[in-house]
Order: sequence, then structure tokens, then C-alpha cells
Amino acid sequence: MKSVLDGIVGALTGILSGFGVGGGTLLVLYLTLFTKTAQRTAQGINLLYFLPTAGAALVGHIKNRMVEKSAFWWAGGCGVLTTAVSAILIGKLPTEFLRRGFGVFLIVIGITELCSKKSVEANREMGYNEKNKKRRR
Amino acid sequence: MKKSVRYGLSGALAGLTNGAFGAGGGMVLIPLFRRFCKMEEKTAFATSVSVILPMSAVSALIYLLRSDVDFLTALPFLIGGTLGGFVGGKLFKNIPTLWLKRIFALFLLYGGVRSLFF
Repeated sequence: MKSVLDGIVGALTGILSGFGVGGGTLLVLYLTLFTKTAQRTAQGINLLYFLPTAGAALVGHIKNRMVEKSAFWWAGGCGVLTTAVSAILIGKLPTEFLRRGFGVFLIVIGITELCSKKSVEANREMGYNEKNKKRRR
Repeated sequence: MKKSVRYGLSGALAGLTNGAFGAGGGMVLIPLFRRFCKMEEKTAFATSVSVILPMSAVSALIYLLRSDVDFLTALPFLIGGTLGGFVGGKLFKNIPTLWLKRIFALFLLYGGVRSLFF
């Protein structure tokens, strides 16, 4: 029964991930606040969850040539190095400290998201413009 | 500043977040791609997924090796997430994203306060 509920929660957060609104972050919150999963375990589950979800989305993005290759190589190369360093370092931190650090991060991102009206509207408009272009063809 | 350096710095910052919190790399990377690297919005979204994927693979491997998580516990979320991600990608253009983002932001603030103080 628990596995079914976990699958449903994964599907709901997966939909949000597909929208680009941070389903993974909500999944970590669900795990830590509602199922009392340890912070590091919740983070690990989210990292694993992201692999097939992002992999499925990437197929379409590559097919539509929406990925900028030089950004992928430079940002990906540097990011893989820093992610390895920080993932190793947090293993030495107490869970409580990590949980509070995550709390601060969420508040900062939450305030930023509330103030990001412009970029969302620009994104939607771009989507409509592309639809119109297709219709004209 | 060279574009490659801007990309590298953006990726490095997102990597720190991804490894430390196991989430939120995209929320750091997309604004940096948009404002710091002057990337077009849709390209920024798609490229960030391609950049976060290898980062998450490296972080997940480290978490697995340290036994912070086991694959079987994560399996239901993986199956559900794959289906949900596919549906979300299909529905994206028909959803009022602005309100979704606002509700999401309120969830984040609620979660942030609870994680920080309770």
C-alpha cells in the first residue's frame, strides 16, 4: 500500500517536474515533512527519481534541438566536479544542520519564485508565438 | 567575460546546490542561464535539464555508495515520476503556469519555515 502511495506521489511531483516548477523539491519536502524520512535519504531518493524523469524529457529536447551544446559541456563539466565535492562534504554534516540549510534555501527560492512573474509570462508568450508560426505555415 | 566562463560558473553553482540539497539545481541554473548568460528561455529550460542530469547521476552514485538511500525504496517514485514527467511535458502549454508557480512558491516558503524552525 505504501509503495502505491509513493508511486502516486512520484507521478504528481513528476507532472510538476514536467511543467518545470520543481517537482523534485516538493518530493523532498513530502518525504521529510510527511513521512519523516531522514533528510539525506530524501535527497538521495530525489536524485534517483530525477534520472528517468529528466532522461525522458531530454529525448524530446534533443530531437527539437533545444539544448545548447557549449553550455552543456562547460556548465555540465564544471557542475559535475562541484556536485561531487558538495555531495561528499555533506556526508560529514549532521542531518539537522542539513535540514535547516535546506529550509533557508527553500525560503530564498520561494521568495524568488514569487517575484518571477516576468519570466513566466515571457515563456508562455514564446510558446504561443511558436504555435502561431506553425499555424501560419 | 567569455561565454564559456559564464557557463562554467553557472554550472559550478548549480552543482554545489545539487550535491548539497539533492534538489534545486534547476532553480539556480535557469535564472543564471537567462540573466547571466543571456540565453533564450526555452533553450535555458532544455539545456538545464541536460546539465542537471549528469550532476544528479554523480550525486546519486555518491549517496548510494554512502548507503544514504537504497534503490528499492526509491523505485515507486522512479516509476511514478517517469509517468508523471511524461504527462507534465504533454500538458505544459495548457496550464496557467503563473498561478502554478505562485502556489509552488507558497509551498516552498511553508516547507522552508517548517524545515528551519520545527
